[in-house]
Amino acid sequence: MSDFFSDGFFKNINLQDSSNWATDFVQDVIIPRLPEAVAGHFSVELGTVIVMLVCAGIFVAVVPLLPLVLVLAERKVAARFQNRTGPMRVGPWGTLQTLADGLKLIFKEDFIPPQGDKVLFLLAPYVIFACSFAVFAAIPFGQDILVSDFNIGIFYIMAISSVIVMGVIMAGWSSNSKWSLLGSLRSAAQIVSYEIPLGLSILTIVMLVGSLSMREIVASQDGGIFTWIIFRSPFTFIAFFIFFISAIAEVNRTPFDLPEAESEIVAGFHTEYSGMRFALFFIAEYANMFAVSAIGVTLFLGGWQGVLPGYDFLGGLPGFVIKTLGLVFLMMWLRWTLPRLRVDQLMNLCWKYFIPISFFNILGTGIWGLIFKEDDVWSIGISCAIIYIALISAYAIAGRNLARRPEPQPS
Amino acid sequence: MESTQQTESKIIELKPFTDEMVVNMGPQHPSTHGVLRLELRLDGEIVREAIPHIGYLHRCFEKHSENLSYPQIIPFTDRMDYVAAMNQNWGFCLAVEKLLEMDETKDFAVPERAEYLRVLICELNRIASHLLSFGTYGMDIGAFTPFLYAFRDRERLLLLFEKVCGARLTYNYIRIGGVSEIIPLEPGSIAEQNYLDEIEGFLDYFEPKIDEYNDLLTSNSIFSERTMGVAVMPAEMAISYGATGPNLRGSGVDWDLRRDEPYSIYDRFDFDVPIAKDIPELGAVLGDCWSRYKVRMDEMKESVKIVRQILAEGLPDGPVMADLKAVRPPKGEIYFRSEAPRGELGFYIVSDGTPKPVRVKGRSPCFSALSALQELSRGLMVADIIAIIGSIDIVMGEVDR
Amino acid sequence: MDKYIRNIYKGVYTVLVGMRITIRQFFEPNVTHQYPYEHDFEKKQNVREIPKGYRGQLYNRIEDCIGCKKCELICPVDCITITGDKLPKGEQLWDSMNVIHLKDGREIIGLIEGEDKKLNLDEELTITNITSRQGPQEVIDRLEQSGDESRTQTISGSEVSRVVTRNPVVFYLDQFDIDMSLCMYCGLCTEVCPTECLTMIDTLEGIEYSKFDRTDLIFNFDKQEMYGKDETDTAEAAD
Repeated sequence: MSDFFSDGFFKNINLQDSSNWATDFVQDVIIPRLPEAVAGHFSVELGTVIVMLVCAGIFVAVVPLLPLVLVLAERKVAARFQNRTGPMRVGPWGTLQTLADGLKLIFKEDFIPPQGDKVLFLLAPYVIFACSFAVFAAIPFGQDILVSDFNIGIFYIMAISSVIVMGVIMAGWSSNSKWSLLGSLRSAAQIVSYEIPLGLSILTIVMLVGSLSMREIVASQDGGIFTWIIFRSPFTFIAFFIFFISAIAEVNRTPFDLPEAESEIVAGFHTEYSGMRFALFFIAEYANMFAVSAIGVTLFLGGWQGVLPGYDFLGGLPGFVIKTLGLVFLMMWLRWTLPRLRVDQLMNLCWKYFIPISFFNILGTGIWGLIFKEDDVWSIGISCAIIYIALISAYAIAGRNLARRPEPQPS
Repeated sequence: MESTQQTESKIIELKPFTDEMVVNMGPQHPSTHGVLRLELRLDGEIVREAIPHIGYLHRCFEKHSENLSYPQIIPFTDRMDYVAAMNQNWGFCLAVEKLLEMDETKDFAVPERAEYLRVLICELNRIASHLLSFGTYGMDIGAFTPFLYAFRDRERLLLLFEKVCGARLTYNYIRIGGVSEIIPLEPGSIAEQNYLDEIEGFLDYFEPKIDEYNDLLTSNSIFSERTMGVAVMPAEMAISYGATGPNLRGSGVDWDLRRDEPYSIYDRFDFDVPIAKDIPELGAVLGDCWSRYKVRMDEMKESVKIVRQILAEGLPDGPVMADLKAVRPPKGEIYFRSEAPRGELGFYIVSDGTPKPVRVKGRSPCFSALSALQELSRGLMVADIIAIIGSIDIVMGEVDR
Repeated sequence: MDKYIRNIYKGVYTVLVGMRITIRQFFEPNVTHQYPYEHDFEKKQNVREIPKGYRGQLYNRIEDCIGCKKCELICPVDCITITGDKLPKGEQLWDSMNVIHLKDGREIIGLIEGEDKKLNLDEELTITNITSRQGPQEVIDRLEQSGDESRTQTISGSEVSRVVTRNPVVFYLDQFDIDMSLCMYCGLCTEVCPTECLTMIDTLEGIEYSKFDRTDLIFNFDKQEMYGKDETDTAEAAD
């Protein structure tokens, strides 16, 4: 199988295992510092495992803080969109509100529906929680801040985030509630469908970069803002928006929040959950939101690379986080603007619009790759020019439409 | 959802057959506008039948009224359609006034100033009611922000009502023979001028907002996808179900009691009656959810127009209350209908000459409109049910009374 | 194909229009306020005042109440309970006070000197024994008939919009209870009150009076001490 990949279709994709930083760390840092007697018996493999576990522990402890911040941010942003202030009571400017909510949820009764499937019911939040956090393992937050540099990083992310739907279905089925069941089935259909445009738009990048490794995808965008993949070709520009909208659908946010559509099916798959288990769903949702934004930044917006080559502006970990939060804000903005789609319209959007356009994108990217063998000033210049002209003409048409907008007159 | 077909010969049939799933939507549900219970028979997401069950908010308004004198009933009409309580007050008072006029010995007329105040306040209340309808419809469809925008503007209206009658929701403002004097608004005084200026300020603020809301929600492509062509109620069906008000006009029937059977002083004002139309280039079908919703949005503009005319004329001088010693209508019966924000609000009153009515019947526009739900919802999806309920704009307080 | 592209265009365009509207609101000032911390006493922007005449908790100036029971009769939900002993014919305890409504919205409670039935509003009015609306001290004050100058005021008749005339108090009120848990705030009782002693409190206290016990919502306005009867009389009246 590996022969097929390394020799066949994608020649550039490197499936040879890159060096394991944990092993290096054990060999270079820990073993020289150990006493002679211990060092002789010290197993490098065991050390690697221990180091990795410690790092994973730190990671798992730190990353859940993100949703805490994001939940508050969402509430504050929503409040601003609606001329409100949002939470103001707990802590200065309500900054400790999520903490208080979390505490409240921990102490609440953990209700298990007596008629439901108990095992699945208990398991489901953990499946979702674990999967949404496993995604973070492959995201390069900075030059060296990467838990694990898979050579199939983006593939791994796609795979692991698809498992979330399992948890959703488990939760919906085991709750023994009809609303939950409806919500989970909607979720299944939705996530499975939107995996396709998501995957196809990622494929355009893989074709351009020639690697599945997140590190290499970022490394290929090191020449400043115009080498970011979103500007590499007009097709990646379209792919970015398809990716972003599909990602919103993947994380079940408005306008695609059908699995938990409050006004239709009460709360969807987590209707019956309470206490800490509900909190896990909530944390997972916001972690997911951050994760897909981070993936979007990594794939399209240069990852931790800065705006200008050689300068650190919008680069490194802070730059990465700022760009990611920008996408998160965009998600919130959309959420507090748009109504919700219906199930069939959701499917229409995916199968009739996103998937054909994605295929068109792949075709276009292939042709683009044939014309411009490698990325140089010419290819990027032409790409940016096309994007610019397209946007300007769209704006002009919009302005014309705005001018002659028919005002529906009452008869 | 087990298969009901017990496979006797253990042959798995390829023809998929699933049971219908019976779901109770409500009475505790986020978007049934109160305590409506819908019994949904679902085939997956498709609604085979939606049977509305009402009565969860029944408060015996009609029976209660038989034991109360006429002025005492007015606060109870507030509780019928609590979103547009002014119009409910008015409907009842108009009916009683009509009943009183049957007695020739009485010299009784509602003062001019009271009539102007009534129209002014009731049209503002119509705006408030349609604003709520717009906001909750947005929320039903999934957009939360229009809801809060609507409430932001509605708050300003409620402040205006509060200043004139002392309450925000259950006004008890319009009385038999005039309007309440609980907070006197002296003719020509500074207080009156301030109040009218404040209304003018609100209108100046609010009129551009309607266009903004149209941009935000009405013309939004997701919103129009959700509502256009959904649950089409043709004109014949609307009439046969007794749908009135915006629901009827949303089906293209040009009927507005304010214009066609002018009561009070509506014949003095110039206003249009918005009627829904087929708009093929947008995709709107006559009588669909979007049309009903759009009629409400247009009606707000017309109400603004009426209020502006009153402000331009100014309130006439004079008393606000007719010289009525006691409300004791002669023996007889009356049915009077008026145009409330949700449609034709009728009161049927039987009097036997005592201060208490023998029978009071309220004809609720929401009740009639809700009866069409069962036919409208057949074969649609769960999400469409919500869209229908929002578009016919029910208030359960009025349906159950 | 044309429709396909048109649909995409329409979708993107209307979404962007909506987003433009919401982002504008993002930078608008708040319309809400932090209610218990910011209320009408702190005059801040967006903080609204409770308008005059707001229908809040019912309050009765019992010493002006003549026991006519009109409020009990008109109340649609029977939340007012009055029991009292009528005095023998021809006797009266005292007169209820005048309520003088001024054109600027203020109201003065006091006694108009001289005849109040047919007022000559061209002349000046002298009002004595001006009291505030609330406070138990006023009962004692007015029964003592103190001649304090500050409680006497002279206003021109042109300012007056309406005057509530004095009525003889002919009842010993043993009980005047208002059950605010039943009250529907229609305000009918305050309108029929001939002496305007029954009012609705239009300040924050009239709105925020929640109690932990429902029985605490039954307000007893009877003040037996103001009649000056000794205890045996009160016991007899209770029988």
